[in-house]
Amino acid sequence: MRAWALWFLFFLGAWAQGGLTSPPPDLSPEVFAIARELRCPVCQGESAAESNSGVAVEMRRLIAEMLGEGKTKDEIKAFFVERYGEWILYEPPKRGVTLWVWLLPVLGLILLGLGLFAYFRPKKPLPPELLEEAERRLKEPQ
Amino acid sequence: MTPALLGNLGVSLALAFSLLGLALSLLAYHQGDGRFLRGAKALVAPAFLAALAAFLALEWALITHDFSVAYVARNHSVQDPLWVTLVTPWAALEGSILLWGLLQTLYTFLASRKPLDPWRASLVLAVLFGIQVFFFGVMATIASPFQTLPNPPADGVGPNPLLQNHWMMAVHPVLMYLGFVGLSVPFAYAVAAMVVRRYQTWVGETRWWTLIAWGFLTAGKVAGMWWSYEVLGWGGYWAWDPVENASFIPWLLATAFLHTAIVQETRGAFKAWNFAFVTLAFAATVLGTFLTRSGVIQSVHAFAEGPVGPAFLGAFLFFTALGLGLLSRVSREVRDTVVFRPLSREGALLLGAFFFAGWALVVVLGTFYPLLVEAFAGAKVSVGAPFFNQVSAPLGVGILFLMGVGPLLPWRKPRAEVFRNLYLLLGVLLLGTLGGLLRGYTLGASLAVGLFLYNTAAILLLVREGVLARVKAGLSPWGFLANRRRVGSLVVHFAVALMGLGIAFSQTYRLESEKTLYRGQAWEVGGVRMELLGVRALDEGRRFAVEASLRTDRFGEVRPRLHFYPQMNSPLPAPKVVYTPGNDYYFLLMDFDREKGEWASIRLIVTPLVFWMWVAGGLMALGTLYILWPVARREELKGVSPA
Repeated sequence: MRAWALWFLFFLGAWAQGGLTSPPPDLSPEVFAIARELRCPVCQGESAAESNSGVAVEMRRLIAEMLGEGKTKDEIKAFFVERYGEWILYEPPKRGVTLWVWLLPVLGLILLGLGLFAYFRPKKPLPPELLEEAERRLKEPQ
Repeated sequence: MTPALLGNLGVSLALAFSLLGLALSLLAYHQGDGRFLRGAKALVAPAFLAALAAFLALEWALITHDFSVAYVARNHSVQDPLWVTLVTPWAALEGSILLWGLLQTLYTFLASRKPLDPWRASLVLAVLFGIQVFFFGVMATIASPFQTLPNPPADGVGPNPLLQNHWMMAVHPVLMYLGFVGLSVPFAYAVAAMVVRRYQTWVGETRWWTLIAWGFLTAGKVAGMWWSYEVLGWGGYWAWDPVENASFIPWLLATAFLHTAIVQETRGAFKAWNFAFVTLAFAATVLGTFLTRSGVIQSVHAFAEGPVGPAFLGAFLFFTALGLGLLSRVSREVRDTVVFRPLSREGALLLGAFFFAGWALVVVLGTFYPLLVEAFAGAKVSVGAPFFNQVSAPLGVGILFLMGVGPLLPWRKPRAEVFRNLYLLLGVLLLGTLGGLLRGYTLGASLAVGLFLYNTAAILLLVREGVLARVKAGLSPWGFLANRRRVGSLVVHFAVALMGLGIAFSQTYRLESEKTLYRGQAWEVGGVRMELLGVRALDEGRRFAVEASLRTDRFGEVRPRLHFYPQMNSPLPAPKVVYTPGNDYYFLLMDFDREKGEWASIRLIVTPLVFWMWVAGGLMALGTLYILWPVARREELKGVSPA
């Protein structure tokens, strides 16, 4: 066996210590549905459903456990919010500082609608004296 | 001669040629002297060759394992297979900028060969040389790919294992850069048009460039989605990760530009929109690099961080200010004077472009919002996939709706027979959606079915219209295929509708389940029955693999794996994906018994219609190719410049 195969064994040991030594629990589709809405706190841009880090594995285990105890989705999410703050939620709450991220697109859409309405509205006709002037000039020999 | 020496020489020469070219083309414009312009043109090819030399020097350093080059030491290992070594130039920041710079000199070279009046030619060259000065300036100062190490290591760590795990990584970044850089040519023409106050012709002249850039961006995005699906082991293709968003924004703006450009070409209207869209689309490519490389947003894609962020932010602000500043100077002259009806081709195109631009705005908002909150309120918030999905859904529905009806509407005024078509299409949409609801699909999925059928019907109506017109004129109906622009765009539109269907279903009906199986234990889930045969470890040289063997009733034996790389502290999953036209079955090995190999945790993800999204991606690329390819050649033969 190659020298760094030893490293592999060492590494496996380290990985195992971070996680669980007994097999992980079975996870139902509901667990993933909840985990997907929670951020994995130690990862970069991964949800608790995707990440393979120890924390995410533990979060999935907790969700499965709480679902087994009959807790609802909202109760489970509230548990993690209490633990990590609202930052843990991938869906920003529609209040407080994150209210605006929801409101701005709606406001933008309204502004856009008004702008388009103005754009498509028939333009005011030119004043008659200007039209006469234009007509006169067009008829003039070059 | 060492690779580092050649590389530094190449970068310095490319910078010098670009600076000189910029000065000469500006002089050519100000003095109105053709000799300066000839001089600037003469520098285009040398700049490209210098950049090519620098790029080849990096490949040389990688192939010869020259670890005295810091980039090689950081991103290469003697154990890397040859193909990984060859694609390592774009595995990290400095090499990516070098590739970008090289492609920019190539596009400048191609653009400079098209005949153009001397005034605009000098301005177009000035803009393109200016962009080159920025890239090679960055490489010569803060992000040199050829920085050397005083004490080179004997071996490096190799590139990020995520990049070694799939051959798609050889393709996806190059396609993206080809698309990003392609947008610089229409931008340069737009700047020239605004300076010399000739507002009409540039869109037609750069149509091919815009389409080429759009085609590469689209192919690059789909390739990236597929890579994410095959490699990242989460069974998804789009995470609304900041880096994905960063490359989605230019795509959205380029799509908006592509559609309003048609109106300017045909009716001479929307000039101001086109200037604005092309500026923002090009500037967004630079903004994307700022997002990716400055480390301001933590993300899985942020492979490298460096001092480059501020430089790219500055460049973004400069290009935006240049384009929009010029636009505000000439805004009175580019104002539309024609009356538009919403129920016309141009009305639908403008509305569609607004949906795309609005979508870009929403993505920018969602991506930057956590940054703004952190900067001004000091709080940490997350804006993730649930937000983006919710705001994107109505925009996507609006776009899919306009896509069906838009091409059927005539320019200016709707004719009476158009209304018959409209009612027919609305009927199809309604029936399709109702049919979906009756089958028990969710509202979103039903709407996707309705919109897919509606778009297919609209395309069939258009084909029928075109063929009938030819038959009536006594021409062969097959001649319709010669209308490449129309046929190609219909192919792309059909692909978009198909993509929409795939996205709606794969997002709505995804089944994900995980179970620990002991050897010989069976599990039935998602319509598959599987049995664990065993777990084994394999030594593959640069990595270790642990493989679980599963016997399934429908797909024979499948072997999902975990890969252990020395430079990663957690294993990378190598899923086994079984593609079928209905559902995709995605087998993942999550964990295993390290002592005896008695058990393995298996995750199965069943996602419908993902297969069709890759088909749609291929169709989009083919449709774009169909529009571009032979017509460009034919027009060139006729002496008409396509650029």
